[in-house]
Amino acid sequence: MNSDFIRARSQVVKLVRRYFDEQGFLELHTPRLVGLPGQEPYLEPLWTSVSEQRAENKEHRAALITSPEYAMKRMLGAGFDKIYDLGPCFRNGEPWDGTHDPEFLMLEWYEKNIGLPELMDRTEAMVEFVGARFIAPVPAGVFVPSDISVPSDIFVPSDISVPSDVSVPADAPGAREQGVINHAPTPSKPFRRLTVRDAMKQYADVDLDLLLGDREAMADACRAHHQTVGENDTWDDLFFKIFLSEVEPHLGEVPTFLYNYPASMAALARKDPTDPRYALRTELYIGALELANGFAELSDAVEQRARFEEEQALRKTLGKEVWPIDERFMAALPSMGNAAGIAFGVDRLAMLLTGTDSISALMPIPVGERF
Amino acid sequence: MASTSEIKKGVVIKDSAGLWLVVEFQHINPGKGAAFVRTRIKNLQTGKTLETTYKTSETIELVEVEHRHMQYLYHDPSGYTFMDQVSFDQVTMQDDEVGDQGKYLRDGMEVNVTTHEGRPLSVELPRKMVFKVTESMDATGGNTVSGGNMTKEVTVTGGIKVHVPLFIKQGEDIIVNTENGEYVERAKKD
Repeated sequence: MNSDFIRARSQVVKLVRRYFDEQGFLELHTPRLVGLPGQEPYLEPLWTSVSEQRAENKEHRAALITSPEYAMKRMLGAGFDKIYDLGPCFRNGEPWDGTHDPEFLMLEWYEKNIGLPELMDRTEAMVEFVGARFIAPVPAGVFVPSDISVPSDIFVPSDISVPSDVSVPADAPGAREQGVINHAPTPSKPFRRLTVRDAMKQYADVDLDLLLGDREAMADACRAHHQTVGENDTWDDLFFKIFLSEVEPHLGEVPTFLYNYPASMAALARKDPTDPRYALRTELYIGALELANGFAELSDAVEQRARFEEEQALRKTLGKEVWPIDERFMAALPSMGNAAGIAFGVDRLAMLLTGTDSISALMPIPVGERF
Repeated sequence: MASTSEIKKGVVIKDSAGLWLVVEFQHINPGKGAAFVRTRIKNLQTGKTLETTYKTSETIELVEVEHRHMQYLYHDPSGYTFMDQVSFDQVTMQDDEVGDQGKYLRDGMEVNVTTHEGRPLSVELPRKMVFKVTESMDATGGNTVSGGNMTKEVTVTGGIKVHVPLFIKQGEDIIVNTENGEYVERAKKD
């Protein structure tokens, strides 16, 4: 166990809360246990059941949330306009490979009357706020004078000590608090903003405009890029084969918002009114990590219902369980207004700031020691 | 046919374009899409490397290969000849099969050779090798900036050119990464 990493994760959580509190957001503690969890085709909730002591045989099926999105949007519908939620979310059946844990800290925030550009601005400002204030630990007993700074793009692992010849007595003028130096790799700014279409062109030399909605054309592109094409592969699957092979590995070379996804990957995002073939969705990549996934939120209940029904159909095709659409969520959608929101992996931000490539290193009890 | 869960470093995938050695692999769960396995694969005939991503639900064809410990003996017009350390069998690979890696081979060196039905497919070199700097100009001409560091080009044993930091001098031993030909660090003196 590395206690420095565990402290670092705690510090990141506090700094994230401080940012949103200072910006006038209200922290909501939405329920973790719900009757109808998100039904994204490729996410699996953890199921349990819940009952009331006196109720006769009345047992409710219940699941741990994969994200607080439905509850947060109901709160927008109830009149809140700047809200965030920071707490554990749960996803079953993911690889325990260093970047995933079945229980992880997710931050979601929503703001009314903003669009995708402002959502990206806010995300960038939050990451910078946390990065600039994050204090990475150095071994106790090492003194670092304030006029010696470690370049901000260099991560100094906690087991490497700062050379003793830079030490000054603790009472010397300019000596900083014992045992601390700020050497967090605050990402350079501004973050790059790249559309999915431009990224596919730049890194894979693929013109997405010509392939949208055309499975056969996408299959041909895959064959030309030495990708397999299976009978059951959807357009999205084929897109991902090229994207993951040739585009995604480069995205985090500089902090990058990838945005405007093909409409088939809109999920809960609005379509771009100027080009409805794309949806107003963004993801943030820094280094090897995808940190966030955000939308200009769809509030059209008719379109949302159609998308949910498509997702249910896909779940069925994939041989997965299907459960009813959350009608309370649907009823709240029209009153949600024009809002944007994002889901942000807090553990991954802590990984970035500490320079560790394993989420397990940050966990008080890592996944390998829990089950 | 095999499942994608059998993909790991060193296995060989067969497809319509030939035999491909898996050099790297990573399971990816984008959450918004299906689960995938991203691989970096190397064509065993052409040496060409590329990235291919499989859906975890796909089936692939794997071929049985052996990883044999061999000693590099010599190079002649027929190619590079290696000898199995256990059976003393000798195998020869043509220049184009060994490709760019050939420049790192030195007589008597021990390497791993991947074979399929007795036929050698690829040579795996030690990832890091020590070379002596045989030629270095200490003048500033030819210096370049790479990744923010000043480097210069030197020649090492075997006539290989390597970009090194300016403080490296002729006669010194340096460690080179054989996968990308880059300088790693000064070799430590015993």
